[in-house]
Amino acid sequence: MSSQRDKPFFVGYLPIPKQLVAFLGVFAVCFVAGLGLAALALSSTQDDPGDGAFQWGAPFEETGFLELRPYPVFRTTGAEGGAPKTYMLTGQGKRGVFDQARENQGVAVTVRGVPVKRGDLTMVQVGGVTQVEDAEGAFDMSEPVPLGRWRLSGEICDGKCYAGAMRPGRGLAHKACADLCITGGIPPVFVSTGPVAGRNFFLMTDANGNVMGDEIKDLLALYVEIEGDVERLDDLLVFKADMDTARVLR
Amino acid sequence: MSVKYAPVLWNRNKYLYDAVLLAGVIGYIYLYTSVGPFYQDVTRPIDGAVLRMRAFGSCAFLMLTIILCIGPLARLDRRFLPLLYNRRHFGVLTAAVAAVHANYVLGWYFNFSPTDRYVALLSSNTSYGQVLGFPFETLGIAALLILFILAATSHDFWLSFLGAPLWKALHMLIYPAYAFVVLHVALGALQGPDDPVFTSVVAASVLLVGGLHFAAGRAEMAADNYQADASSEVEALEQGGWIVVCDVGEIESNRAKVVSVPGHDRVAVWKYKGKLSALSNACAHQNGPLGEGRIIDGAITCPWHGYQYQPEDGRSPAPFTEKISTYRLMLVGTTILLDPNPQAPGTYVEPVVIGEAS
Repeated sequence: MSSQRDKPFFVGYLPIPKQLVAFLGVFAVCFVAGLGLAALALSSTQDDPGDGAFQWGAPFEETGFLELRPYPVFRTTGAEGGAPKTYMLTGQGKRGVFDQARENQGVAVTVRGVPVKRGDLTMVQVGGVTQVEDAEGAFDMSEPVPLGRWRLSGEICDGKCYAGAMRPGRGLAHKACADLCITGGIPPVFVSTGPVAGRNFFLMTDANGNVMGDEIKDLLALYVEIEGDVERLDDLLVFKADMDTARVLR
Repeated sequence: MSVKYAPVLWNRNKYLYDAVLLAGVIGYIYLYTSVGPFYQDVTRPIDGAVLRMRAFGSCAFLMLTIILCIGPLARLDRRFLPLLYNRRHFGVLTAAVAAVHANYVLGWYFNFSPTDRYVALLSSNTSYGQVLGFPFETLGIAALLILFILAATSHDFWLSFLGAPLWKALHMLIYPAYAFVVLHVALGALQGPDDPVFTSVVAASVLLVGGLHFAAGRAEMAADNYQADASSEVEALEQGGWIVVCDVGEIESNRAKVVSVPGHDRVAVWKYKGKLSALSNACAHQNGPLGEGRIIDGAITCPWHGYQYQPEDGRSPAPFTEKISTYRLMLVGTTILLDPNPQAPGTYVEPVVIGEAS
């Protein structure tokens, strides 16, 4: 401590001692530059959130049927004779569209909205639903095709944020948001590390095909392994998760 | 030192301090949100709200780390004492930056929902029984509340109202706040995709804070260990309760030797004008280490904020009213002895004249 004796003594309300001016000047530059370098290092190395995003420039408008499987989905025969498609649906914000799906079950409707797209996953944020007259029977919807029992590892997300409503829309930092979305009626999806029939995401239901309950809350956003039956509904895969087999991997 | 309360007693040094502080924080936020994204390897840009919440959150973490480094740095090297002078402004700005981070989190992750955002904040993740997936937001809330309390009570009014010991004890909550922040980051942001840069920054910050405190503690312990060659007269006095401070030649003029008194506060023994006086080592302002100060214009001057005391009676020069405890001293040969029983704050004690012993 004796070496401290010769060092200049700073008193806040007096001028800075000359011997300290250079030291403090260098420290101030290091402080500002150090924070700047840290900002650049931390900001430039952010993880890629993927290509998911709202397709604001390509509004969605198609005619088909609303079904509850058990979450609201919109099924179409495909444009101009194309393959039939099944879209997961969401409302505005962190809300689902259960009410609109129930009100319009069994009748042909035109759904307008904004697609949220990530890779080959497209979810539609519903803006409006109108019934189509004289269109009953024009659609012949297929039944789900079983693809067998699978043990999948991956993450349970909410379909909307994962599809691109938020970037990033997965991970533990997003866990509470995913919980709010799913509680609000947005379908949960299982994002698998390995593909099944070429797909890595699945609409999740419980083992009996019902809406997921609180049993997924503690597992949201974690890296988990779950067994269950997989079904194909047009181009959408449905994972009927047996939550008794769920375990956290990491 | 003041005889009335004002929001801030500005001076040139405080302006300079705050200017550097603001330049650092504004530069950090600008570079993080506006320049860093040009160098990101991403398919599509990260949401602006997420980027801003990360910018303000990481900035608050780094600011808190620096704040906690200032104390031990100033103990290890006095050239860092100016950083301590206006540390309260640093703390208040840190609380504000952390609040902006929290506001972005509330307005993004907890917004757009039928559930009220404040209700959602506390109710959406309740997995308290697990480490992975633990509601790390709660840890952030706890840290933010502490930072708010510390910022709100940082003014000298609260220091005077609560008294220096209680005020200082309250502001030691900065350490639990830092622990909450580290856990908040460790259970939240660090559990995302591998991010070696942020992980390294957090680990280095924690090691730096811990290492500096350890080093400062060791230096202080080493300074406390004094062994005197005791004469029979000194031994007799020691048995009577007096404490050996050091040899009179060890104290430089206008400086002090700090001695630990078992069961009491530390005492600073000052040498000046061929005399010796002993006062409490704790400044009445923020309990700063008076013994690390100097005598300027005949007054003991605290190294933290320049509060001054007369060495004979521990009173601040008029018109100021602060006062601290004084102690009796004795000089046997060249050995200084201290009566560890404090006199009432502001009590005059006749200085010991060194004479030929010096």
